[in-house]
Amino acid sequence: MNVAFNIFLYAVWFLATYYIVLLILIVLSKKDDLFEKKRFDFKKPPFVSVIVPAYNEEGKIKHTIASLKKIKYSKLEFLIMNDGSKDGTSNEVRESIKGDNRFRFIDRKLNKGKAATLNDGFDVAKGEFVATMDADSMIEPNIFRKVLPYFKDEKMAAVTVSVLVKNPKSFFHKVFELEYIIGLSLFLKIFSTFNAVFVTPGPFSIYRKSFIKEIGGFDVHNITEDLEIAYRIQKKRYKIANCMDAKVYTILPPTFKQIVVQRKRWYSGAIQTLSKHRDMLLNNKYGLFGHFVAYNYTLIFLGVCLFLFTLYMGFSNVYENVMYFRHTNFNFLEHMKNFEFDFLAFGRVSFLGAMSISFTMLMLFLGLSLTKNKKSERKLGILGYPLLFFLYQLFWIVSIIAVLRGKKIKWR
Amino acid sequence: MEIRRSVFLVAFLITVILLLSLLVMGNIMNDARKNHVEEQMKIISSMSDINIYLLMSDLYGDDMACVAFKTKLKEWDRTLWDLGMKLERYRIATEEFQREEFYLENKKLFNENQLLYMLFLKKMKEDCEIETSILSFFFKDAKECDKCDDQSFILTDIKLRADEEVSIFAYDLDLDLPNIRILADYYDIEDYQLPCVVVDENVFCGIRSRQFLTEKICEFNPGLEFCS
Repeated sequence: MNVAFNIFLYAVWFLATYYIVLLILIVLSKKDDLFEKKRFDFKKPPFVSVIVPAYNEEGKIKHTIASLKKIKYSKLEFLIMNDGSKDGTSNEVRESIKGDNRFRFIDRKLNKGKAATLNDGFDVAKGEFVATMDADSMIEPNIFRKVLPYFKDEKMAAVTVSVLVKNPKSFFHKVFELEYIIGLSLFLKIFSTFNAVFVTPGPFSIYRKSFIKEIGGFDVHNITEDLEIAYRIQKKRYKIANCMDAKVYTILPPTFKQIVVQRKRWYSGAIQTLSKHRDMLLNNKYGLFGHFVAYNYTLIFLGVCLFLFTLYMGFSNVYENVMYFRHTNFNFLEHMKNFEFDFLAFGRVSFLGAMSISFTMLMLFLGLSLTKNKKSERKLGILGYPLLFFLYQLFWIVSIIAVLRGKKIKWR
Repeated sequence: MEIRRSVFLVAFLITVILLLSLLVMGNIMNDARKNHVEEQMKIISSMSDINIYLLMSDLYGDDMACVAFKTKLKEWDRTLWDLGMKLERYRIATEEFQREEFYLENKKLFNENQLLYMLFLKKMKEDCEIETSILSFFFKDAKECDKCDDQSFILTDIKLRADEEVSIFAYDLDLDLPNIRILADYYDIEDYQLPCVVVDENVFCGIRSRQFLTEKICEFNPGLEFCS
């Protein structure tokens, strides 16, 4: 290690620690407001359209429709839009919506992609406010009474909700649930406090239709249209709020491989969006948004570099140990017998790492506690964090490589 | 919900305090490491004990000196071995390069003391008929000697098994110490031959397995408990 590396290490540590300390302080200072309930006091409740684009959602979309049927809001229409599915989605939708005239089914044979389908939906939607929803997600019945009051603010363009995982069963699903609880729920709430929400999640977000029309709808060339549109909303200096009290439950892809494909799309899309809107970075014109996004991605990039270095160091260490044990006929017992714990052998870098991990764990614990998770889930969260952290870095590396190679990212 | 500017400032102050406490703690640890090395170095650098034993041997005969020496043998051997291990470990843990000098100086001192102790041990082994095997290990940095690390692993394992029955002295030829170089020349050891291990005056260059070295140690010292 040389001096330059030490400086780099301390700089990354400082930036990351400042970020986490700031988030912890914001959470602590706003903890009573996190689940704020706004009064639904419209004299004339606004009309809401819900667009559900569907591509090969057989077996899942019936549950989405069932959750829509339970919604307690009178002025509603549901637009189920088949985007050229090759499976039995079309039949399942027809069967599920039978007898409920709030539903309209647009059965398109041609697959145009999610963004284009959403834009088509916005064209035919009658509502003043339009909610978009994934076909594998379920919302709670009183969601609109919770989110609509945010639109009393005339500059409000979109409202996001807490995105949670529906019935996580496998260990991996439970680990990935953390990403939703922290990343797509708590963080969005925190970011909304300084108007820097950078995504309107696909599982459920609600928009003021006129604003979306004004900015030209969703970008059909972007693989993460829900992220890209948030940047354009911010560019116009409109607002995006988060209502943590309202929840949408999404189904995670069943296999680990599919989760990897999904994350690769998300992160590659994030790079694509960042590149498209690079003029917003560190630009005071866009308030704290440009600064926070730049800060966020700088940390991600530095984190990946540090992760790769740690991985290299870790493997060198493992290699050295393997060599040692190979030369000594894998005599673990003798080695363990003579093992001596020496506190002084831990350098400052070890403390740097330990402190960073502790802070992130604290943030995670705080997040899980405040999002009212059960104790057992909190325990798993703490245990699952190292794995999630490891996977998170790996996904970023895979995505960066894919973008650098100009590889076309598949939807699924 | 709005955030006050003071939250940003407080977060910054907390981070600065954390960084400072980390730096202070690092300095305390560095000093503790330094003190530990210096303490250990003091023990092995005390020439007076060796001189006393040599004088005892001259004046009162070997028997008197041997009794006294045997009581010290284990302690010295252990201290030397521990310090050798810790010098490298602590040098890695102390990442500031301005402190590298301290470890370099102490490594030199350590190597010289090892030599002194080894020579003394050899004399006492003959005079007092002590059952011990003496190994000298000549090495260089991994860049110049790719098998030296592997050889040191093997010797570490032998030391762990044999404890004070085998005394291992590791000489770093990178330090360019005249006395160590003389010793290497005495055994006809050239840099390109490294790693080299001298087992009771028999030189073996190139990497040698644990089994080979154990066999040689036991061949030259059949009375060792470690060989049974």
